[in-house]
Amino acid sequence: MSGNLLHRQPILRRPDGIGGALPALTLVALFFVVPVVALLLRSVTEPVPGLHNYATLFGDGTYTRVFFNTFLVATVVTAVTIIVAFPVAWMLAIMPPALGSIVFGIIILSMWTNLLTRTYAWMVLLQRTGVINRTLMDIGLISEPLPLINNLTGVTIGMVYIMLPFMILPLVGTLRAIDPMTLRAAALCGASPFEAFRRILLPLSLPGIAAGGLMVFVMSLGYFVTPTLLGGTSNMMLAAMIAQMIQSLLNWGLGSAAAFILLVVTMALYALQLRLVGAKRMTGGI
Amino acid sequence: MKLILTGILAGLLAATAARADEMVFTSWGGTTQEAQTKSWAAPFEASSGIKVLQDGPTDYGKLKAMVEGGSVAWDVVDVEMDFAIKAAKDGLLEPIDFNVVPKADLDPRFTTDHAVGSFYYSFVLAWNKGAVSGEPAGWADMFDLAKFPGKRTFYKWSAPGVIEIALLADGVPADNLYPLDLDRAFKKLDTIKSEIVWWDSGAQSQQLIASGEAAFGQLWNGRVFALEQEGADVGASWNQNLTAADVLVIPKGSKNKVSAMKFLAAATSPKSQAMFAEASGYAPINTAAKAEMPADVVKSLPDAYVDGQINLDMNYWAENRDKIAERWYAWQAK
Repeated sequence: MSGNLLHRQPILRRPDGIGGALPALTLVALFFVVPVVALLLRSVTEPVPGLHNYATLFGDGTYTRVFFNTFLVATVVTAVTIIVAFPVAWMLAIMPPALGSIVFGIIILSMWTNLLTRTYAWMVLLQRTGVINRTLMDIGLISEPLPLINNLTGVTIGMVYIMLPFMILPLVGTLRAIDPMTLRAAALCGASPFEAFRRILLPLSLPGIAAGGLMVFVMSLGYFVTPTLLGGTSNMMLAAMIAQMIQSLLNWGLGSAAAFILLVVTMALYALQLRLVGAKRMTGGI
Repeated sequence: MKLILTGILAGLLAATAARADEMVFTSWGGTTQEAQTKSWAAPFEASSGIKVLQDGPTDYGKLKAMVEGGSVAWDVVDVEMDFAIKAAKDGLLEPIDFNVVPKADLDPRFTTDHAVGSFYYSFVLAWNKGAVSGEPAGWADMFDLAKFPGKRTFYKWSAPGVIEIALLADGVPADNLYPLDLDRAFKKLDTIKSEIVWWDSGAQSQQLIASGEAAFGQLWNGRVFALEQEGADVGASWNQNLTAADVLVIPKGSKNKVSAMKFLAAATSPKSQAMFAEASGYAPINTAAKAEMPADVVKSLPDAYVDGQINLDMNYWAENRDKIAERWYAWQAK
């Protein structure tokens, strides 16, 4: 009898309602909600209660500059990443599958290589006495080393390189779903390649660009290692400033406030991404 | 299955039992911590039977978090002296038990109620001989872009050193440095700001000078010592070398306080201090250590360059660190 009952029950029952989601919710509460609330509390209680930490962050020229730097770097990196990633993704999309999987493998492999190693490699390449400057000087193209590191150029190069896979992957997905015949049709109707790109390929790939772009933008906002190593002190980004406040200055109130602002901005952008990409998906964009 | 569980349990028990004879030493990593492990921890382990686990790098935020959170994983930590003075005031450190740690021969400049010296170093002016024509004589030359063109590298963090160097270069007499004239220092720094490359770790300072990426730099003397040992073509000026110390502290609530005190006694003993100095090029803080060292090692230590040596004022920095740091980072970000 009891054996029968057991047999009638499906082996994997989809948990339903709040009860089923309880383990997951508990984890989120423990590892996300509790620390975030603690962060928020610290930012309004240290060293004395009040909103002074936020007032300092928004009122002091130095901090507003850091906010500006953060958004500037994220914007520049996102824009350059899209421009560089698009042709690569398009090639991947139309490549024969066998070759495509090899190229794909290389991209994924670079993603799995230690971040610090890759950043240090860029330092070796970009510095004044580095490979790039040496080569350019040897062949007589420049007489003085180009300032490629400790500035926005260095940060952009290093970060674009690291962000590329995150842009290429969603883009390939979108591009593969586009019927190549639409482009041929455009050509038959007399469209130049540029015209076909502008009026057909670009609009159809927008969901992928939006998904990848927002992901890159959000990740860039909180980036730490690469901007710290390849940037100068005048390009300091929010994450580096938070680290400085927590580790060196022991000003945890101000650090928490800055971290909380970063979190809120990131969550807002994430929500935007869900809406944008979700909406497109519903209309059959992907 | 039961057998495996029993095995794991037994293993865990053994691990916790072993912990009684263990302690954790935390320092900055790299060649310095290697020398500390070899010169202090290894002989201490042999004589006391207490195992010294290494951790690092030192992180003041983490130290504070451990003490405030009541779960202190570090027993002895190598920190900068001005931090130690401030941290003692903030209640983050255990007082040193000088019944266990003999105090008589310890350099009083680097000993407080809550800290004993670890080693002391000098900031010296180092340069890449291939990238600099001529010999810079002192800090003033580092600010002379006409006479000595090229990039110069300074310590990135707000800490005793750079401000003093700027003031000395601007002609402030050494005995008149404190209280620091910040306006004057930053004005002087402005004149070379575009040529400054910052280093944030000792290894990076070595790399910048050795590669010629920066022609000159303010370096820890031990890092120059290491470069010379590796055969790099570097010069160094000890003129107005600036001394400061690292100190060893025990975070409040350390679980192995007794072992930690014994470790401090061993680490600051003449023998261990001499061994460390020989390995690192940093000076011992035990005045009896010199007798234990070969003469040519003594010659290369900051101890041998006391003429014109300037002691950075750690009490002043402990008092004003936050205020200076705020201005320092704002100026850097500009």
